[in-house]
Amino acid sequence: MSSVTYTDFIEAAKNFIEISNRCCDGWKFIEHDKDKCYLRKETFLNYKNGDYERLLKADYVIFYKESYCVPSFSFNVWNSAGMLLSLDDIRTMSLISINKKDFYSVVTQQEHPIFQRPYFIIHPCHTESVLAAFKDKSKNIIVTFLGLVCPLLNINLPLEYGM
Amino acid sequence: MANDREVLREIWDGKLPICFHLAQEEIMEIQQPDPFYVMVPRLSYFPLVIDKMKRHFLRFISQENSDSEMWLDFNGQPLKWHYPIGFLYDLYCGNDPQLPWTLTVHFTKFPEDILLHCPNKDVVEAHYMSTVKEADVLKHRGQVMSTMQKKDHNQLWLGLQNDKFDQFWAINRRLMESHGDNDGFKHIPLRIYTDDGVYNQRLVCPKNTDNSRKTLQQMISELYPEKSNVNLRTHGVIIPPETPLQWLSEHLSYPDNFLHLCLC
Repeated sequence: MSSVTYTDFIEAAKNFIEISNRCCDGWKFIEHDKDKCYLRKETFLNYKNGDYERLLKADYVIFYKESYCVPSFSFNVWNSAGMLLSLDDIRTMSLISINKKDFYSVVTQQEHPIFQRPYFIIHPCHTESVLAAFKDKSKNIIVTFLGLVCPLLNINLPLEYGM
Repeated sequence: MANDREVLREIWDGKLPICFHLAQEEIMEIQQPDPFYVMVPRLSYFPLVIDKMKRHFLRFISQENSDSEMWLDFNGQPLKWHYPIGFLYDLYCGNDPQLPWTLTVHFTKFPEDILLHCPNKDVVEAHYMSTVKEADVLKHRGQVMSTMQKKDHNQLWLGLQNDKFDQFWAINRRLMESHGDNDGFKHIPLRIYTDDGVYNQRLVCPKNTDNSRKTLQQMISELYPEKSNVNLRTHGVIIPPETPLQWLSEHLSYPDNFLHLCLC
């Protein structure tokens, strides 16, 4: 079972931040505790669906899940009235056409291990097997990881990260 | 191996008397509803034991809220339904026991920055199973859960939901076995909570570097070197500091396979 160590994660995260700063993608590296660091991006999204358009606020956090030895992706999205979007709202925004059952098996609302507040989190089991396949070929494990997550959650990943 | 059946049984049978009151602002009728009393298993979760209580209060609330998500508070503190009931009681009332435990029921103003949504019992099951899996990853690199069949996973949940000790432990004992050359788990699934509800989850080994069994006291000294006289409570009791962690994990874990310990 291939795994990413915490040191691998930190190294990839610092590298990731350098790229983010260069292309002004807005990610921050935060040291929560001596052994709990994470990447965070708070941003606004302009979601368009045909004629329908709305402004949303998103909070993305990439952190290290110690029990599973993998990076983990967590997020929350609020509408302009400050209400949290439901999991089904997120699913309909996905670039991938995915049914409820499948989506809910990959993304669930959980208590965030760092903030201990509700966040939507992508299941580590799914990340683990895909990352294992890419581990030796990937220049930055977090970029690879985000590459998997972005289409599912309709997040833009600038090309600069791949260079 | 969780050998001490008497201890397992005693933990399983633990119950708490709860008194539910409907929040004043929810009451739409002139007549005040009676409080609802019920004895609940310490090891269960609130969404599994509140059906009758909900029916009891439904006719007193505004009809437009009858499909809203119900939530509970104790002294203004919203209760996290995904924590076992007995643990919540130890966390908030451990130092100051008060029975029956009096809780307030709400149908509006769901605190979505604090509580997870729980639209149905499947969500409780999904949460429970994912915690058991995480515990198995910590103990056995996930090997026990991944070699079990779906029907075994279901039996764990059904055993818990229907209060069937033998049905539950027929499967759970496999999760309590040590594997390979270790005569213990790789890591002990545990969370230590301070009285504000914040928890600390660390990688803890059941053995010391000299291969001796690590005791609770030894773990406390490692995690809280600057504190003296630290006690941990679980299932309503203060744990003797000389208790080996391996034994504690096998016998005093909750059905989710984690030790949930309150710092006091």
